[in-house]
Amino acid sequence: MNFKKILPYNRHTFSSFFSFERTPLNVFMLMLTVGLVGFLLYGISVYLQHGHHAYGVTRQHPWGLLIAMYVFFVVSSTGLCIMSSLGHVFNIKAFQIIGKRAIIGAIIAILTGFLVIAFEIGHPVRMVIYNVLTPGLTSAIWWMGTLYGMYLFFIILEFFFLNNGNHKYSKIFGLAGLIVGLAAHSNLGAVFGFLVARPIANGVFFPLYFILSAMVTGSYLLFLIYGWRYKMKFPPEVKKFMVTLAQVLGLLLAILIFFEIWRALTAIYGMMPERGDIAIHMITSKNFLIGEFLLGMLIPFVVIVYSRGRAIKTLVYTSITGMVGIFWMRYDLVHDTQLAPMMPLKIREYSLPPGLVEYTPTSIEWMIAIGAIGVSFMMYYTADKFFNLDHDAKGH
Amino acid sequence: MARYGMALDYKSCINCKACESACKEENGILLGADKHRIWVGVKDIEGIFPDLSISSSGFEPSQCQQCDNAPCQTVCPTNATYYDDNGVVRVNPEQCILCTYCMEACPYDARYIDDRTMTVDKCNFCSDTRLINGETTTACQATCPTKVRIFGDLDDPESEISLVLRARDHHSMKEHLGTKPKLFYLT
Repeated sequence: MNFKKILPYNRHTFSSFFSFERTPLNVFMLMLTVGLVGFLLYGISVYLQHGHHAYGVTRQHPWGLLIAMYVFFVVSSTGLCIMSSLGHVFNIKAFQIIGKRAIIGAIIAILTGFLVIAFEIGHPVRMVIYNVLTPGLTSAIWWMGTLYGMYLFFIILEFFFLNNGNHKYSKIFGLAGLIVGLAAHSNLGAVFGFLVARPIANGVFFPLYFILSAMVTGSYLLFLIYGWRYKMKFPPEVKKFMVTLAQVLGLLLAILIFFEIWRALTAIYGMMPERGDIAIHMITSKNFLIGEFLLGMLIPFVVIVYSRGRAIKTLVYTSITGMVGIFWMRYDLVHDTQLAPMMPLKIREYSLPPGLVEYTPTSIEWMIAIGAIGVSFMMYYTADKFFNLDHDAKGH
Repeated sequence: MARYGMALDYKSCINCKACESACKEENGILLGADKHRIWVGVKDIEGIFPDLSISSSGFEPSQCQQCDNAPCQTVCPTNATYYDDNGVVRVNPEQCILCTYCMEACPYDARYIDDRTMTVDKCNFCSDTRLINGETTTACQATCPTKVRIFGDLDDPESEISLVLRARDHHSMKEHLGTKPKLFYLT
């Protein structure tokens, strides 16, 4: 059986695999990737020695930076999957060229997310076993994890069929991946939305917001991926796609800002305890104002509106600020959910009653969280070497 | 089978912390400020001297509320948290994956990580040390010098706890969340 016929790939020797054009940008990315992976490995080695004691998480704040980073990666994956489906599932012509590159990005992002969560879940092997043996069907985490497993399976098959040119099956598995991905991702929102004890998170907002912000994230990532691929010298069909993408992103950002405004207003209105006070703390924090709002929404939105979506090179750069903003969105949603103390009385002498719960990630958490980005760079480089991710003459 | 609950005559609490010590000793809880199954919350005196409100101060002993509709059980992805035959909410450490979703979901901050098993632990009404041997007391109840705690079978109409709950006003914590706690604070 000729495997290459089933899944076309490029053969490489050791040296050809590591050969690339020695431009300053490429060398910088190489050094960045090696540095990030080094951080990750060191972080993991400390975690394996000390467990959760290496992290800044506490009894009152059990979820920290790694949960935020897991959300960051899986949101990226779902976002890329949704945006690519606009082309080869929903036949929007401008998006048809991105199929393979977006789907491999989605696969890489979710694998990196799984890597990060493996160092947050205390017993990942046990998780795989008891997820099957004693499933907790009322748990949003169970559904989220199981559906993400199925989602990964479907998008791998989608990539497989995209690569060998079988458009019928790539469409079928693309649609399956999209539906299961949407279900998984809204369940991830429900992991927070189902928390009856935490009024700031409880409700319908997160499941919907996760889908919307995934699409925003997917758009930013597509700008970055294509900006990198063509080094700002875009062929006409790619240029057309990016202008369309910018216009879609503008609409998505407008909806996102609208969502955020009403979320804040409904949370503050009436000043319900553990909701109104937390919301005010949230929207007046630097994380939100600078991280989420300015970098994540306003700057890209202004560029799109001002240029009517035509400033695609500028948008590649603003997508970097956009992704920084997306990171703070994930961090804040995890942290702000846990701000209100569940035990409001003091339990030790000579102390004050508990105020808002504090959390500072340790350097080890930062190393694992940010270092994981290096792994996704590494996987992307490998995929780009082995597979032809560009669209063909027919625009597929 | 019983349905165990606890009534707390909390206004009698003197914050001696004998219950906390007895719990740690009985259940082998590790030392450490965050490692506790039960605790006594302190309400500080309000006001500015000399206009202090004595009635505002007080102690509120607390622990897992042994909810009949426990959020920690609902969210557990592997059913490691379960209701035993006595209605006690318990954790099977063999199944716990330490995702800490239960700690996130508990409205009472009643769960913590047991560093011996690296799983989430909580009060189980001394099920492993007393109830299993046929005793119907808990360590915290047995040691309390002012008899704050009344432990017993809520399904037995003649049990001390059933009698006291019929006779005295009581409330539970965060009842509005629908968790149906089996800890009752006598007023």
